[in-house]
Amino acid sequence: MIFNRYRRGLFIISFLAAPVMLYLVYVISPYLQAFYIAMTDWRGVTATPTFIGLDNFVRLFGDETFWKAVTHNVLLLVLLPLITIVIALFFAFLLNVGGAQGVTGIRGSKIYRVVFFFPQVLAVAVVAVLFQQVFRPDGSGMLNGPLMALGVSPIGFLSDPQVAFWSVLGVMVWQAVGFYVVLFSAGLASIPRDMFEAAQIDGAGRMSLFFRVTLPLLWDTVQVAWVYLGILALDVFAIVWVMTDQHGGPDWSTTVMAAEIYRNAFQYSRFGYASALGVVMFVFTVGFAILSLRLSRRERIEY
Amino acid sequence: MTTVTSWTAANSRRLAREERRRRLGPLGVLTHVALLIWTLLVMVPILWTFLASVKSEDEIFGDAWSLPATLRWDNFARAWEQAHIGQYMLNSVIVVAFSTFGTMLVGSMAAYVLARYPFRGNRAIYLLFVSGLAFPVYLALTPLFFVVQNLGNLPVIGPFIGLNTHAGIVLVYIAYSMPFTVFFLSAFFRTLPTAVGEAAMVDGASHTRVFFQIMLPMARPGIISITIFNILGQWNQYQLPLVLLQERDKWVLTQGISDVSTAAGYDQDWSALFAALTIAILPMLVVYTLFQRQIQSGLTSGALK
Amino acid sequence: MPHTPHISRRELLRGAALVPVAGALAACATPAAPPAATSSSAPVATSAANPLGVPADKPLEVWIFDGGFGQDYATGIHQPLFKSKYPNVEIKHNSTKEITKVLQPRFAGGNPPEVIDNSGANFMDFGALAQDSQLQDLTALLDAPSWDDPNTKVRDTIDQSVIDIGTYDGKFSVLGYVNYIHGIWYSQKAFRDNQWQIPKTWDEFLALCETIKKSGKMAPFTYAGKFPQYLYEPLLTMAAKIGGNEVLVNIDNLEDGAWTAEPMKTAATAWAEVGAKYLMQGTTGLDHIQTQTAQNKYRVAMLPSGSWLENEQKSTTPADFEYGMFPIPDVTGSDKLPYGTLHTQPGENFIVSAKSPNPQAGMEYLRAMLSKKAAGDFSELVRTLTVVKGASEGRKNSPGVESASKAITEAGANVVYYRWNNWYGPLKDEGVAATGELMAGRLSPDKYLERMQKKADEIKNDSSIKKYQRS
Repeated sequence: MIFNRYRRGLFIISFLAAPVMLYLVYVISPYLQAFYIAMTDWRGVTATPTFIGLDNFVRLFGDETFWKAVTHNVLLLVLLPLITIVIALFFAFLLNVGGAQGVTGIRGSKIYRVVFFFPQVLAVAVVAVLFQQVFRPDGSGMLNGPLMALGVSPIGFLSDPQVAFWSVLGVMVWQAVGFYVVLFSAGLASIPRDMFEAAQIDGAGRMSLFFRVTLPLLWDTVQVAWVYLGILALDVFAIVWVMTDQHGGPDWSTTVMAAEIYRNAFQYSRFGYASALGVVMFVFTVGFAILSLRLSRRERIEY
Repeated sequence: MTTVTSWTAANSRRLAREERRRRLGPLGVLTHVALLIWTLLVMVPILWTFLASVKSEDEIFGDAWSLPATLRWDNFARAWEQAHIGQYMLNSVIVVAFSTFGTMLVGSMAAYVLARYPFRGNRAIYLLFVSGLAFPVYLALTPLFFVVQNLGNLPVIGPFIGLNTHAGIVLVYIAYSMPFTVFFLSAFFRTLPTAVGEAAMVDGASHTRVFFQIMLPMARPGIISITIFNILGQWNQYQLPLVLLQERDKWVLTQGISDVSTAAGYDQDWSALFAALTIAILPMLVVYTLFQRQIQSGLTSGALK
Repeated sequence: MPHTPHISRRELLRGAALVPVAGALAACATPAAPPAATSSSAPVATSAANPLGVPADKPLEVWIFDGGFGQDYATGIHQPLFKSKYPNVEIKHNSTKEITKVLQPRFAGGNPPEVIDNSGANFMDFGALAQDSQLQDLTALLDAPSWDDPNTKVRDTIDQSVIDIGTYDGKFSVLGYVNYIHGIWYSQKAFRDNQWQIPKTWDEFLALCETIKKSGKMAPFTYAGKFPQYLYEPLLTMAAKIGGNEVLVNIDNLEDGAWTAEPMKTAATAWAEVGAKYLMQGTTGLDHIQTQTAQNKYRVAMLPSGSWLENEQKSTTPADFEYGMFPIPDVTGSDKLPYGTLHTQPGENFIVSAKSPNPQAGMEYLRAMLSKKAAGDFSELVRTLTVVKGASEGRKNSPGVESASKAITEAGANVVYYRWNNWYGPLKDEGVAATGELMAGRLSPDKYLERMQKKADEIKNDSSIKKYQRS
């Protein structure tokens, strides 16, 4: 018995040692150090950074560029989930219950689902470079070429500060929709068919079928999607850094928190200040997580 | 199958189709139009890139929608050799192969123990892992760089796991994949029946054997889901290699592509850029199409857990 | 891939509470002292043949910015010359288009390479490097005998402005190798064919723009819209021409109201007018290569650039294009500086990392670069003048180089420069952003200058940013 207990303990330790060690060294310790670095004026190399307390945090309150970045993240946080979910729900509905009698899948739904998912398997950096070309401002751009052929003056998708942000949002939606179509489809597939049939017998049209049956039954999945997309909106980096002019421009019109953190750390060598920005981002992300948990009814992890 | 039955089948299919069209009317057509529009939105930029990859420099800067006069396959040769896309791709494959394997091995071990073996501190360790889900990686970036840097100074193993090493970034990928992997797989292990494992234990099997020979095979669906999730996530990583791999010959594909896009501005070799993009995109689409069912169900079930 | 925060608030907070405990166990890795530079361990005796004390067999790592000049000059000219004297020193040659991305982390990690050509759109912030004592003091190099003549010091073979500009904290630590001459560039052939005259006054310049616009042959003016630093250059040079050198000195020194001074207003207003009336369509979305290529195709007449232009465009320039450049025209009639005033700036900035393993060899490499042979070969290969006096005399020069060297002779002592963009990275980025807006007409000249002044004040009041002064 004692031997068994010993064996069990040894087993637990041997299985947990590697993952816990890795996690502490590479994940937990950097996060903790970041909170300390945020209170120094460290520029990256000096062996002993000076402790300056909350100076960095005071400073970032006056940093207009950073607050612009925060505004963009917040806008994305609202718009990205909203637009993506609406489009994805629409297509998922069409694909799954848009067929004959409104309860079966539409013909070719499989192919649509495969194609819609394509953008999701591409790396964000690759998508960013691709759209840089699609958005080119002259006649050689995929979009401006036809526009100019029609006599419309070219649109500065990435060069007009009033348009660039929407281009970024558009690309993000473009990439995300497919995943959520499939996600919602999976959700719809688990809804018993007779629910739809029953509703139809009661004379429900397509619209009311959607709003009275589909949406309520999918509500849990929609909430999950909202949380995912929210995190995506707060975390966005590669698309902005790679695709936009001046890494978040023109005129800071597309910059986001992550880009400002990276810029301050690895371009201005203001590691202390960058870490302070990181702490603010941390607060936003955790705040969003808490808020969304509070709003949703999923208070606990189920197991 | 005889001709008669197949004729009937075809006939009834046709009847069904007509029936459907009659009932759907214009709405059904609109449905297809809507779906087609999105299909075009997805496919056109990708196909346009493929098209540009065989154009000459002048054709690229000419009319956006013109067809190439001759197919310039040499663009691909330049992208592969001079722009080192081949090297970057190989690096990505090596890194992701090891990191995903490592993530799954270490992650499933941790998840299994945390799910099935109550002990003092179990909950704390579990929460430690899971709390990582809410942290933005950007906060950790700077210190992480120095952690890896300093690990590079360790005796003996240092040179293999420091900055600019593939082993180093593999370990980082594994560590940063832990939260989701542990979270998902421990939920999965909890749902598995206990009887088989207990019976094996009575027969004298060790804990380790029970895990590798009984529990792991039983957890296959979950393992596959999360493996796909991790492969895609790690393949697409840009931020971590940007900071941790600075030597060109160590770069992964995402870094390579964004560099080619900068370089194209100086070298005026845009056709190679499009070829490089095609090289990065096409294999992903082919692999995805082949395994689309597993990938879709893997990703979505991972998300819904 | 998205992350899932499906955990309850209580659990999250409990998790967070546990974190510090775990952290105490974790590897402590915050700013560890960088590994001691091994260079100090065994100094090599200096001699007349080896004035800087280069170890005979210690490797040397060189990073070249692979931009307009390419990297062949390093592997084909500089490195063979160095090797001829130190055959046992292994040179590790590297190149990149993104210096910061590739090398900043190595500095941060305490293991920088010896020689770096810190140039391009993404060069490393010199101020930050100096503040972190990363830059090798190159005074020893200045006082060493030159490569060609043991009786002449290196100091005397280069222009004094190179030393002034390369001095940080009283130490000469950045060697600008190329003498960049800024101006408005055009095709001598296009001007000849159309009988357009070089404008001597701003009114003539505007009239010329109008003529070109009306001719319908090409657009009058463009600049690299994606990189508006190409446009704040002529704007600042114009302001200096109107108000004198102190306009730029005040800006560099972050003086109160330096940006909103009257000459700046005049210059900003003048360029905003060009932005509103005479820009090539689509300018704002194009980069330097695209606009320069448009000029090569005779789609646009003039653009602001520097003397690297001719080399950068060599593959797309028609054989009879004949690059030429002219200085900023007279603006007010009472400009403080005369016609012909030029903005010249030593560029292609080479540094030696103080914390690299072999800084002596790094300095020696620069000494080789400053030889007459290396500099002359360089000028011929990349069609650009260097800072080495008289190195390109008696060589075959291209039309652009010829035009630029004529301009520099005519300018004489009337040369100006600025350094704020190298000293204060955040101010440069603001300048880039705001200048784009000015030219697009979304910022009025007054608002533009107010915005720059605000950022400059912000930096001035930020105690964490090290300040520099010049006179």
